[in-house]
Parts: sequence; structure tokens; C-alpha cells
Amino acid sequence: MPAIEPMHQFLIHKLVGLPPVMLGGHAYDLSITNSVAMMLFAALVICALLGSASKGAIVPGRIQSLGESLFDLIDGTLVTPIIGHNGKPYIPFVFTIFMLVLVMNMMGVLLAFGHVGGQDWTFTPTAQLAVTATLAVLTFVSVLVIGFVKNGLGMYKLFWPSGMPLGMKFVMAPIEMISFFVRPLTLSMRLFGNMLGGHVVMNIFASFVVALGLVGLSGGLATLGLLGSAASLAMVIALTVLELVVAGLQAFVFAALATVYLNEVVNLGHGH
Amino acid sequence: MATPTHEGTAPASTGGLPQFDPQWWPGQIFWFLVIFLFIYVMMKVFFVPKIGGAIEARDAKIDGDIAQARKLKDEADAQAAAALADMAKARAASQKLASDARAAAQADVAAKLAVEEEKLNVSTQAAEQRIRAARDSAMGNVKTIAADTAGVIVAKLTGQAASKGEIDAALAGRA
Repeated sequence: MPAIEPMHQFLIHKLVGLPPVMLGGHAYDLSITNSVAMMLFAALVICALLGSASKGAIVPGRIQSLGESLFDLIDGTLVTPIIGHNGKPYIPFVFTIFMLVLVMNMMGVLLAFGHVGGQDWTFTPTAQLAVTATLAVLTFVSVLVIGFVKNGLGMYKLFWPSGMPLGMKFVMAPIEMISFFVRPLTLSMRLFGNMLGGHVVMNIFASFVVALGLVGLSGGLATLGLLGSAASLAMVIALTVLELVVAGLQAFVFAALATVYLNEVVNLGHGH
Repeated sequence: MATPTHEGTAPASTGGLPQFDPQWWPGQIFWFLVIFLFIYVMMKVFFVPKIGGAIEARDAKIDGDIAQARKLKDEADAQAAAALADMAKARAASQKLASDARAAAQADVAAKLAVEEEKLNVSTQAAEQRIRAARDSAMGNVKTIAADTAGVIVAKLTGQAASKGEIDAALAGRA
């Protein structure tokens, strides 16, 4: 009976070794790992998809329709309604976040190649805390930088609520500040947790399919194990659909939150 | 537990989430930032202008086509109205022409009728005159015949001829 190792799928190993980079007395290993390889593959998928969607035909084909639907999801559903017309410059940023998270999320479900050439190619980069934390910090820092460029020291208004008594302002300011600075944590943990949890549950049920099936083959009363195996298989199929929904939804949620955070600093004090 | 086939798998398998293994963080962070920057630049200079431009061009084309269709429809409506007005004018003209022709024909007929009536009247009066003259002369003849006859009858009865004056006096009392 194979051991059930639901965490095995998140293991990282080196594919192409690169010499370590020395920085401040520390050696940093920047080798191409399976995680990095799948990120590069995601970039390739994004470029191929959006590249073939960039034909600019008046009557769009299938790929162009898909690309334009994704674009419209960001432009027409998020950026323009939330930020307004001065949100146009931020569309590339939000669209980049959305497409990267979307494709990386889908890698564990749609772009799963299984075990080829002694390597597991079913790997979800967004189930790596390093990746989600980097993206969350990147989003947070971008919002901060854009805020300071746009408002200068007027950024303090973000933590100094208007339209309430002075006493309440002193109570609200620390709360606003905490809720602002906790954003990188919530952004990274939300995406990481969603991807991790779904994949672990799927892996466990998939293991049950094989394990209970093997038990069932031993004959006698244990034949009932085949029933459990079939039920687990049905569960895996249902979870696959659920994971597809979660993968798309989390990408949208990440992009939506990034847009909301951008809106706060772009339209600061405009009561938008 | 799986045997470590690649370097790096061993520490992760000893427990805890492999994601918390700090050994692989720098590489993932570095490459993710590189990939993010690359995709962002591609979005900024190529994908977003191209796809957004295509959507805008399509919207503009649809708006333009609808505006032109509306313009053409207005033109067609105007032409239809003009055609309708022309038709009404033509109908009025033809009606006027028909009624004029009818009136002219009626006037012509009336004039000819009047001429013919006039002619008829003239010939009728002439005929009446002739008839009257013929009757008068006939009546004159009758008196002469009566006088002659009366003279003959008187002569036969009385054996002597009556004088012309006596006969005339007798006839005048009869006529």
C-alpha cells in the first residue's frame, strides 16, 4: 500500500543548478527549480495566449475573444468601475497580477502533465508561500510607492478618517493603520491557503482511490473497498471542478483587492 | 517516507510544510520578480494597448456604423416623405386636369346646344310664319269660295243673282 504523502506535491528540487549569488556575506541559491520552471512555463502560456489574442481583428476569433474577455474582466469589471477613468494607467499592473495568478493557479488543475521524465510536472507555484508572499509584498509596495508619488505626504489621510469627531479619529487611526499594514499578510495567506488546502484534499482523496482499490482487490469482505474507491474517485472529480472555480476566483479576488488598494491611494481624499 | 532522489527533498520530508523551507525562497522570489517584470513590460508595451485598442476600435466601428445607418435611414425617410408629397401633388394636378377637361367639355356641349337651339328656334318660327300665311291665304280662299257658292245657291233658289254687297254682308255675319 503506497504511503499517503499529500505534501509531497509541494516539494521543490533543483532542475538546473546555477552558482550561488553572494550578497552581504550570504550565499543565495538562484537555481532553476521545478517551481521556477513552472513559473517560466506560466509566463510562456500567458505570452502565447495574449500574443495570439493581440491580432486586433474587428471580428475576433476564439483566442482573441478569450483574451478580450479576460481583459474586459480587468478593465470593464474592476479597474474602470472601481478607480474610474484615471485608472487606465494601472490596467497593465492589475492585468499582470490577474494573469500570473490565474495561470499559476490553473497549473495544478488544467495544465497538469503528471509524471514525465522522472519529474512531477503537476506543480502549482501559487501553492508556494514564497511566491504568494512576493506577489503580496510587491502589490503592497507598489501601492505605497504610487500613493507617495500621487499624494506626497498627503498619504497620512489614509489613516486619518474624515467626517467623525476628533476623539473617534484617534481611536480609528490605529485600526486603519493595522488594517493597512496587515494587507501583505492577508493577501499572501489567502491565496496560499486556498491553493494548498484544495490540493492537499484532492491528493488525499486521490490516494484513497488507489489505496481502497488495492484493499478491495484482496477479495472477501474487503471487496467493499472498491465502493469506497469509486466514491473517492467521484469526490476527486467534484473537487477538480471546485478547484477550477477556486483557481479562477482567487485570481479575481487578488486582482480585485489590488484594484481596491490602488483606488484608495489614487483617489485619496476625493471621497470616491 | 520517500527516498531523497534529488538534493533538497530530504530536509522537506522530515516534517512540516515544504513551503516553509527557507532554502528555496531566494530563487523563487528572484525568478518571480523577474517574470513579473517581464510580463508587466509585455502588458504595458504590447498586450494591453493591442487588446484594449482592438476593443476600442470595435466599439468605435459599431458606433460609427450605427450612426451611419441612422443617417441613411433619416435620408431614406426624407426621400419617402418627398416622394409622398410629389405623389400627392401629382394626384391633385391630375384631378384638377380631369375636372378642367370635364368643365371645358360641358361648356362646349352647352355652347353647341345653344347654337343648335337657336337654329331650331329660327326654323321653327319660320315654319310657324309659313303655316300662318298658308292658313290665312287658305282662309281667304274659303271666303271667296263661300261667296261664290252662296251666289250660285241664291241664283239657283231665287232665280236672280244676289248682289255682291248682300253676299258679303251675309258672310260677315257668319264668319
